[in-house]
Amino acid sequence: MDLSLNAADIAFRDDVRAFLDAQVPPSMRQAYDLTTGLFVDPDIAIHFHRALYRKGWSVPHWPVAYGGTGWSPVQRYIFEIECARTGAPAFNGAGAHFVGPVIMRFGTDEQKQTYLPRIRSGDDIWAQGYSEPGSGSDLASLKTKAESDGNDYIVTGQKIWTTFAHKSNRIFALVRTSKEGKRQEGITFLLIDMDCAGITVRPIIGNGGDHEFNEVFFDAVRVPKSNRVGDENKGWDVAKYLLEFERGGNFVAGRARASFAKAVALIAARCPEDAALAARMAEIGTDLDAMEMLELSVLSATQTGTNPGPKSSLLKLRWSQIRQSICELALDAIGDDALAWIERRPLDEGLQLPPDDESLLAIGPRYLNSRAYTIMGGTSEVQTNILAKLLLGL
Amino acid sequence: MDLQLDTEQAILRDTAERFLAERYDERTRQTMADREGAWRSEIWREFARLGWLGLPFAPDDGGSGGGPVEIAVLMEAFGRHLVLEPYVATVILSGGLIASLASEAERQRLLAPIIDGRTVMAFAHEDRGAPATATPVSTGYLLSGQKKAVLGAPLAEALLVSAVMSGGGKGVFWVPASSPGITIRPRQTIDRRWAGEVAFDNVTVPGSALIGANADAEASIDAVIERAIAALAADAVGAMTVLVTATVDYAKTRVQFGQPIGRFQALQHRLVDMKVKEEEARASCLFATLSLLENAGLRRRAVAGAKAKIGRCARAVYQDAIQLHGAIGTTDELPVGAYAKRLIAFESLFGTTREHLRRYAGIIADPQVSAAALLGDGL
Repeated sequence: MDLSLNAADIAFRDDVRAFLDAQVPPSMRQAYDLTTGLFVDPDIAIHFHRALYRKGWSVPHWPVAYGGTGWSPVQRYIFEIECARTGAPAFNGAGAHFVGPVIMRFGTDEQKQTYLPRIRSGDDIWAQGYSEPGSGSDLASLKTKAESDGNDYIVTGQKIWTTFAHKSNRIFALVRTSKEGKRQEGITFLLIDMDCAGITVRPIIGNGGDHEFNEVFFDAVRVPKSNRVGDENKGWDVAKYLLEFERGGNFVAGRARASFAKAVALIAARCPEDAALAARMAEIGTDLDAMEMLELSVLSATQTGTNPGPKSSLLKLRWSQIRQSICELALDAIGDDALAWIERRPLDEGLQLPPDDESLLAIGPRYLNSRAYTIMGGTSEVQTNILAKLLLGL
Repeated sequence: MDLQLDTEQAILRDTAERFLAERYDERTRQTMADREGAWRSEIWREFARLGWLGLPFAPDDGGSGGGPVEIAVLMEAFGRHLVLEPYVATVILSGGLIASLASEAERQRLLAPIIDGRTVMAFAHEDRGAPATATPVSTGYLLSGQKKAVLGAPLAEALLVSAVMSGGGKGVFWVPASSPGITIRPRQTIDRRWAGEVAFDNVTVPGSALIGANADAEASIDAVIERAIAALAADAVGAMTVLVTATVDYAKTRVQFGQPIGRFQALQHRLVDMKVKEEEARASCLFATLSLLENAGLRRRAVAGAKAKIGRCARAVYQDAIQLHGAIGTTDELPVGAYAKRLIAFESLFGTTREHLRRYAGIIADPQVSAAALLGDGL
């Protein structure tokens, strides 16, 4: 066993660092620092994505045939760590991480040719149409229906908690095509253009003040059947495949460590003598070390072809909790400065205060926003149910 | 970067598991636990035959050149089977100090009886009150001082003792346990291992007793204690694994309200919580283990962090194991109690959870340290 990088990996890291130094200007880093939601605004992040695209690095994890880089898992890990360290914004995970791999696995040749290049280039931004008002954790109860009409489906219903639907030109959605048999067996996976007649997007403002979520209404929206991925009524298998990526597929340690280091710097600057806070900081630091090691262990196992299996639920469960605890640590570090609030989003638009004061203003909203980490992508309670079943056989 | 056991390490794991499952039963443990000072362990000689007593030593010294990972693999098996033999005291601490400080001639003389199982040793280090001193006299040194909680002391034929030299540094001395002026008060620990208070009252030793003629051994002492903590961390992970498995199995078979209690969601979630803590503890232990091959700064951070993290996880796991077993969990009828006590001992040995958390806080408070990735940043 060893926890070191070989010479080729170190050379690779140097290349990545040089690229990021050149392509992530201070204004982009500042936008990242002052983002209170989970994601940097796509209008800003697209510039970084385009730079990655020009370099051939916009979808590193994809197979080379579809434009991936062919990097080893360790190189992908290094890339993620360096992006996090630099404050490089992530762009459209729903496209590159969710629907992209689904189209590769289940899509037709035509779908692959139509959609995959546009995800790579950033021409398409995808939203995920899964949750509905009555279908959160119990996703299979979804009601948005797609009725057959010749070569089309007529889609009617409502999706909710749709991240960046207002910035997306496409949405993938789970819809009900049958009410017969098991609920899971009447679900179909569709690709839908957001500019179709009958689609309405209404914003939902989070209690952190950010507009990330939306409601999406479908009123007799006509979708060609050629936009179906997989067979009719087989969408649940597609959805489960996607959820594996949502829960495990990417690396979190870099982003978590970057935000932890910022909280540590805040404590060092503002309350270095606070023993209770130092103890909490240390506990979180040990949690982070353990999770980073766990993530690396899973990575190491994938190098020899082992599927992470239920470990991806374990990683999702604990990373979401630890990232929350880091936001909470930062909140405690600023003490009663947490009282201050400004409504404007993004915070850095029309910047009037010195950047340091602005970054303090991001901490309260980010803390509130972080409460969603343990809800989105399958709540902690659902992950725990999955672990009880798959890991413990209960 | 590779975090998988290699073939030989996997064989070591399987051999240890098989041997201990067959040979280290409750009676063996009982015999060991009851045997104060009268050291005649057949099982210890089998450890020697299996090569375990020479595992960490260089082939030139008669060992098999195993590293921290091999030690962790073996110690995890010891934790799973609650092995009481003084492996940490003799092999990790005493043998480790000799290997790191001694001259070649001393290594040949002192390591051979450890490796072949003839000699059990203990390292008397932590002072009760003022630090022990080594006063130079014409024939060598006079050793004086009080050492507390010396693991394995009542079983040891020879002791290593740390003492402050006249120059202010620390030396490590080899002394027969029966030397005039040494008093050992045996103490059984909560998990039924043997430890002792050791008093040195003007104990005369020759000049050659100073290992490696080294009057500045502090760094070596720190490093060997870090290795002992990492080894005990693996032991604790082994013990936690058994507790989690036993509790899950119990929940699957114990019937109340007409069904196995493992069907109740409230209990399922607590069991998952235990399993998650076991996995985190294992990962934390792995970090500490691999850090032993790195620089002193990284070692300090990883070992203190692992002691704190595993201590915290262990406490939660054994508390829940007792709770979910119900009333029977509060007795010694089932092994739950013995495993809980093993983990309580881990919490206390070589610095408590809280002490290590404080130490770790001091290290991590530097934002540059807390920002460094575990892979490749080498901090």
